[in-house]
Amino acid sequence: MIKLTKENFDQHKTGIPAVGKNWIKVGMSTCGIAAGADEVYKTFVEEAKKKNLTVDIKKCGCLGMCYAEPLVEVHVEGVPQVIYGKVNKDIAIKILEKHVGTKMLVNDYIFDLSLTMKKVGK
Amino acid sequence: MDKKIVLLKDTSIGAADKTKEYYSLILNLLRDQNLQDSVQVVRVADIGFYDQGLVLKILPGQVTYGRVQESDLLPVITETIQGNKVLDRLALEPNEKQLRIVLRNCGQIDPENFDDYIAADGYAALKKVITEYKPEQVIEQLKASGLRGRGGAGYPTWMKWNFARQVKAEQKYIVCNGDEGDPGAYMDRSVLEGDPHSVIEGMMIGAYAIGASQGYFYIRAEYPLAVERIQKAIAQAYEYGLLGKNILGTDFSFDVEIRLGAGAFVCGEETALLASIEGKRGTPQPRPPYPSIKGLWGKPTVINNVETLANIPVILLKGGAWFGKIGTEKSKGTKVFALTGKIKNSGLIEVPMGTTIRDIVYHIGGGMLASKGIKAVQTGGPSGGVIPKEFLDEPVDYENLQKLGSIMGSGGMIVMDEDDCLVDIAKFYLKFCVEESCGKCAPCRIGGFQMLSLLENITSGKGTASDLAKMRRIALAMQKASLCGLGQTASNPVLSTLKYFAAEYKSHIEDKKCVAGKCRYLLNYQIIPEKCKKCGLCLTNCVFGAITGNREQGYILDPAKCTKCGRCYEVCKFKAINKG
Repeated sequence: MIKLTKENFDQHKTGIPAVGKNWIKVGMSTCGIAAGADEVYKTFVEEAKKKNLTVDIKKCGCLGMCYAEPLVEVHVEGVPQVIYGKVNKDIAIKILEKHVGTKMLVNDYIFDLSLTMKKVGK
Repeated sequence: MDKKIVLLKDTSIGAADKTKEYYSLILNLLRDQNLQDSVQVVRVADIGFYDQGLVLKILPGQVTYGRVQESDLLPVITETIQGNKVLDRLALEPNEKQLRIVLRNCGQIDPENFDDYIAADGYAALKKVITEYKPEQVIEQLKASGLRGRGGAGYPTWMKWNFARQVKAEQKYIVCNGDEGDPGAYMDRSVLEGDPHSVIEGMMIGAYAIGASQGYFYIRAEYPLAVERIQKAIAQAYEYGLLGKNILGTDFSFDVEIRLGAGAFVCGEETALLASIEGKRGTPQPRPPYPSIKGLWGKPTVINNVETLANIPVILLKGGAWFGKIGTEKSKGTKVFALTGKIKNSGLIEVPMGTTIRDIVYHIGGGMLASKGIKAVQTGGPSGGVIPKEFLDEPVDYENLQKLGSIMGSGGMIVMDEDDCLVDIAKFYLKFCVEESCGKCAPCRIGGFQMLSLLENITSGKGTASDLAKMRRIALAMQKASLCGLGQTASNPVLSTLKYFAAEYKSHIEDKKCVAGKCRYLLNYQIIPEKCKKCGLCLTNCVFGAITGNREQGYILDPAKCTKCGRCYEVCKFKAINKG
């Protein structure tokens, strides 16, 4: 492991590979795990492999919408990025088949809060 | 025409959700226009607006319409979807009530991935600080930001740092207080779990500013995942040379260790916390001397809350002046609240200081559960108080909450509806403090116990008119004479409910009635013969033999034998049991 210094810090930062074109993030904090995020994460990993889909499955912290855990954020090229809530094994499979596979959003599980919060920009 | 997506949700409150009907209507209209292949209609679970009737959002473009009527659907399709024209009469303004500074990375990055944090500008503030700033300049930036401690008392962070900086000592310490114990509050856990590096970075900047070379994370043992993630993050920081000797090739060296709290609420108090780190029994010490002068092992020590530290990197990166523009005159920045209770969207929210309680409850929280009326909002946990619904339009900041008889506290916000009994709530919080009192000083140990027994009398129908005055006297004594914050503030929930809900206390004492139906000893159960279908379910469920009768003649409840357990009320399918 290289030690970071003030000289090579920026170089290391720019060298970090960009996130893949398609990704799925699963909220894996205590609230998510309590609601079943472990199983959802496992389902995504296994089913994506089975279905031969190119999508990165990642873990992340809590988005704050604890009432809708387990939360899953999906980014697929050509489809708006959305957050699905109250996801279980069946819905996870549906997301892979429909959202990732055929680029269609899945009904009834989207929690669209994109117009409710501002984030501090870079 | 590009492919479009229409998101829809019926956000009406108190009426049946008609999202599915509208969905079919739109699908039919699209088919009529031969657009079914170029537009996808999606039912969503939450569209970010509440009580706005049918809400439609058209992507791409994020055009959002509210209170859409059936007759509007065709114009929306022909003009907005096909013609890209915005219908001003339906358009909704964005509902941007939240601003995420502390939670900027939570849910965005992988907390166990070091590079994820670096890519999100992580440790950039640290690099800037230790290569470009003198410690005094860091404190200046913090002064300009106006950041105040997020653990409860709201003491200006720059002053704390400045005191510790000015003391000459060979060894100084910085401690992160992660002993979050208020019932219903869990924002610190979420930050530690979702963005551990930001807290470490904040702590390192603090250490640089005050001249500390050693830091401690004090995290409660009930947060195993938070501890695990902080542990991993510390290990990663050591691997990359961000902790240890000569950080980033500069003269700055800093080490961090974790200490686990063993589940005592009082250890969130700073002097008790320090005693606990030193391996002693977690009891508070009189202040002064304040820890910034004489803290851990007698050395100057700064203790900052998790949320305070998570703010630091952003402030240094974007400048204190930028942060100082957010919020109200005396309370700057944002505050994370754990919004819980009788509310639809319970969870963590982060709002700029000065946001009104109404905005939080109705525009972020999505309104009340079961559409019942709101009664009060409790803030500040066991040291806080209740804010009745008359003050919903008051802005939330340190001074204003104090003026209302509550406190900001660590950020628990519990919403209560008409079914909550405020006397019972006061009893709950006081009981919590009595159980958590360390017992070192008499006002807290004895005062709390006596006040609780008075409250127990009141809620079980044995209260007398003089009890309220007695409680006020004890509360005053506890406030004046207790050693630490726990005892000084333990009576706050009682005092604030006495202030705003005196009528409720009165009805408990004089009429022996609990309007909300919570205090079980004040309830009387009765079988209403007109509604009773003589099924006998209450008889089989009453284990105390208080219900007698048979399927022909019906059933009677004997109040003398009834223990008011409420079992019959719960099992009766015909609502034939009266509670009151």
